[in-house]
Amino acid sequence: MEFEVGPAGDLGLRLAFAASPQPALTHRLLSIQTAAREAFADALIDSLVGYSTLTLFYRPLTFERDRATDWLICQAEAVQNLDTANTAGGNTITLPVLYHPRVAPDLEWIADSKSLTTQAVIDLHCGAEYFAYATGFAPGFCYLGDIAEALAVPRLDTPRQRVPRGAVAIADRQTAVYPCESPGGWRLIGACPLTLFDLTATPASALSIGDTIRFEPVSEAEYRSLGGTF
Amino acid sequence: MRALLVVRAGIATTVQDGGRFGQLREGIPPSGAMDWSALRTGQHRLGHQKDEAALEFAYGELQVQPTDHCSLLVTGAPVTLAIDGAIVDHNAVHTVPPGALVAMSASTSGVYSYLHLRGGINTTPCLGSRSTSPREGIGGLHGGYLRDGDILPLGDPGFHHPSPDPGLSRTHSRDMLTLRFVTGFQYGEFSDPAKKLLLEQTFRVTPKANRMGVAIEGPTLQTGIRALLSEATCHGAIQIPPDGNPIILLNDRQTVGGYPKAGAVIAGDCERLAQSRPGQRVRFVAVSPEEADRIRWLEHHYTETKLEPGQR
Repeated sequence: MEFEVGPAGDLGLRLAFAASPQPALTHRLLSIQTAAREAFADALIDSLVGYSTLTLFYRPLTFERDRATDWLICQAEAVQNLDTANTAGGNTITLPVLYHPRVAPDLEWIADSKSLTTQAVIDLHCGAEYFAYATGFAPGFCYLGDIAEALAVPRLDTPRQRVPRGAVAIADRQTAVYPCESPGGWRLIGACPLTLFDLTATPASALSIGDTIRFEPVSEAEYRSLGGTF
Repeated sequence: MRALLVVRAGIATTVQDGGRFGQLREGIPPSGAMDWSALRTGQHRLGHQKDEAALEFAYGELQVQPTDHCSLLVTGAPVTLAIDGAIVDHNAVHTVPPGALVAMSASTSGVYSYLHLRGGINTTPCLGSRSTSPREGIGGLHGGYLRDGDILPLGDPGFHHPSPDPGLSRTHSRDMLTLRFVTGFQYGEFSDPAKKLLLEQTFRVTPKANRMGVAIEGPTLQTGIRALLSEATCHGAIQIPPDGNPIILLNDRQTVGGYPKAGAVIAGDCERLAQSRPGQRVRFVAVSPEEADRIRWLEHHYTETKLEPGQR
């Protein structure tokens, strides 16, 4: 499979596959990441899987560039194809969602712009399983995909200054839950009452790259009983 | 409890140590002192051994009052330092009495200064570091920039003889700052005109400079690359947004980004860039990864040699 290995700054190495993002590719990247943690132990200060990339960061005084580069190329070459890839691993997590205009200011707009009923929008969003491709943007924020083509909407031209914690959002073919209050440009379609980022928990994030996520519609009463607020 | 009252919090004042690592998957950047050499200098001069935290503040504005006798020192961008109204040597370790008003003002060059107090700022570490990440609301006293009236706990001062200045300053003014960078990421796909402009033209630091990154302006770079899928950013990454004006990503950067990147500026030059004021002229010089390794080893050797006569 086509790939390239190159620097990510003076203390990082970046592996990028040419293949388009897909769960099997993410699982391969995750397994190379796990192998890197074992192979380099304390010399590896951090690492991150992206949609089709793995970036490894090393400590200044223990970084052996040639050895680390050779190791990464060797790992990438071992990825022959994705058909036989082991896609096991990763948790399946169900997130309760209240789909209601009170917590979803864009729900009706999405329905109108896609010529769907709001119920059809809800059915499309919670009718599929989503894969956790990447994290970033904010602590605990997880990029999930792919949502149905029929639901694909552009981001807001002007991001909202304040998106509430728990907001369930869509943009393009992606969906996500805002784990904390933050600015945001995605369209809000519902609200999840669960805590997805908690500094006192290990790990702090409820969702990890490689997980499979399902959304389950809940009533206002269930939403409240699970800790949800308006 | 030994404590420090923040009388005037000044501009972008935060608790910082060497930074927080291993949290990229949680979406949490490293943060830490923008001028690591200045942090290290203060730690060394006060005999700190455990990455004790200091107060980082921008453009010299900060007033504090310790509750107890306290040895302190300012490093990084030079400031005018006054203790109870009397101007004192800004580059010396001072021991102040309880309740003394320590006022720092109007630095003449550089951006970030560090107030070190013997024993360190003793806030509760979060995910292995006391560094503040304001956007994430993590670390420091309450996760954000310090405010007037905040009270910070100080660590046990122990016993110590101050060490002399090791001379590691990153704030020397220069007409042209050379940013050495290792090419990578999408550099190979950049249009030839964009590469040529990046390597041959001069840019200037803009006022859009903070702990997340420094925007520079000059000829606009049309990379010819459309939006990318999110991937890890890195310290010093030269990111080119659609407007064609590069942003060099620093300590509080977003952990992932979807804009094309030409490579990344080496660590030492990132410190020099962080300490540059708007208007500073900069140019880029591409170095091989091996050259970046040599520079890092030389800088490490230089630092350790300078620190040797002291505590280490």
